Amino acid sequence: MTHFSKDIIQLQNVEAVVNEIVQKLRDDVLQKLRRLGAVVGISGGIDSSVCLALAVKAFGSEKVMGIMMPERDSNPDSERLARELALKLRVKAVKEDITAALIGSRCYERRDEAVKRIFPEYDPGTYTMKIGLKETGLFNYLPPVFHLTIIDKEQVIHEKILPVKEYLQIVAASNFKQRTRMSILFYHAELLHYAVIGTPNKHEQEQGFFVKYGDGAADVMPICNLYKTQVYQLADYLGIPKEIVERTPTTDTYSAEQTQEEFFYQLPFDLMDLYWYGFENGYPAKEVAEVMGETTDRVEALFRNFDRKRKTTEYLRMQPIRDYFGV
Amino acid sequence: MIENQTIKKRVRDYLVQATFAGHDKIKDDSLIFKEGYFDSMGFITLITFIEEEFGVKTVDADLVEENFESVNAISDFIIRKTP
Repeated sequence: MTHFSKDIIQLQNVEAVVNEIVQKLRDDVLQKLRRLGAVVGISGGIDSSVCLALAVKAFGSEKVMGIMMPERDSNPDSERLARELALKLRVKAVKEDITAALIGSRCYERRDEAVKRIFPEYDPGTYTMKIGLKETGLFNYLPPVFHLTIIDKEQVIHEKILPVKEYLQIVAASNFKQRTRMSILFYHAELLHYAVIGTPNKHEQEQGFFVKYGDGAADVMPICNLYKTQVYQLADYLGIPKEIVERTPTTDTYSAEQTQEEFFYQLPFDLMDLYWYGFENGYPAKEVAEVMGETTDRVEALFRNFDRKRKTTEYLRMQPIRDYFGV
Repeated sequence: MIENQTIKKRVRDYLVQATFAGHDKIKDDSLIFKEGYFDSMGFITLITFIEEEFGVKTVDADLVEENFESVNAISDFIIRKTP
């Protein structure tokens, strides 16, 4: 096994990787799925931008459609950047505002009802809100706990630990967003006899940072084996605009600004990539710790947390269990 | 004030029921997180249980392993935080 090092996950030949992915994407969509092209949900983030560019390489811009699906809590930058990318790649971009659908499914109402039980003063008209993890559990055995944050119009932050009932209600209600987007993507895909390209990267897939049957639903997921470092290498090769590449990855799910690191990962992506690589390839904690300038104890605790995260999110990756009779 | 043994029993019973582990697995000094009985969801459920059952509210400063690592630790935490 190669010695663990800080550049161990760097792709040596990005062009060859892109060509391999593009060829497989073509084979899968055109031959296996027998679809004519691809639909990609575009958010102005790096993952969806790379997927759109890969799809254009695979099928040509005339056989790819980019769909922007903002809602009332979305950052306007998301639509602007997505539109600019579509223009650059000469892809048809369609905007589907999903706010009305979310009002219809009472997404905001159900979420805000739970927020008000914790902060009775919360008014969605004047406050913004988000939920996220505090850095409690990554380097010790205690799992992280979700906190609810509301920010008033004077930008004063109020924060509390989220009790389980409210946590579940906020997450269940918010998941309408990803599931509504999934429905829109499949609508357009079926309309054109195209396939839906899923945009999760390796961490999202393996650590369960996706909504089951929401953004976790797609026909193909071309970058789900790539570390974020590698996605950035592909973005550079594919000429993704600098503003998208330099944008901090956000959840763009709650009304308050929130990075993915704050919401879920608790580590910057470059460190997360290296630790995860060490963990999943069976490198001894001691070797990883030496390279990363950490203690072996802390890296062992981190690996145990990764293991727990992978196990506890297994449900999200499972297909429906079908073997009930006649097996 | 509730007796230490009563608190321990209620905490232990709760953990056994919440983790699907047997009474033989969850001893008073079993390290419930280190040994993998509890995950993130289990932890927030435990925090809610402590608040609803004993009126003890967990705040950020309490979120350390020493307060939650075992039945003994949780019971001590509850006693310490009970007015």
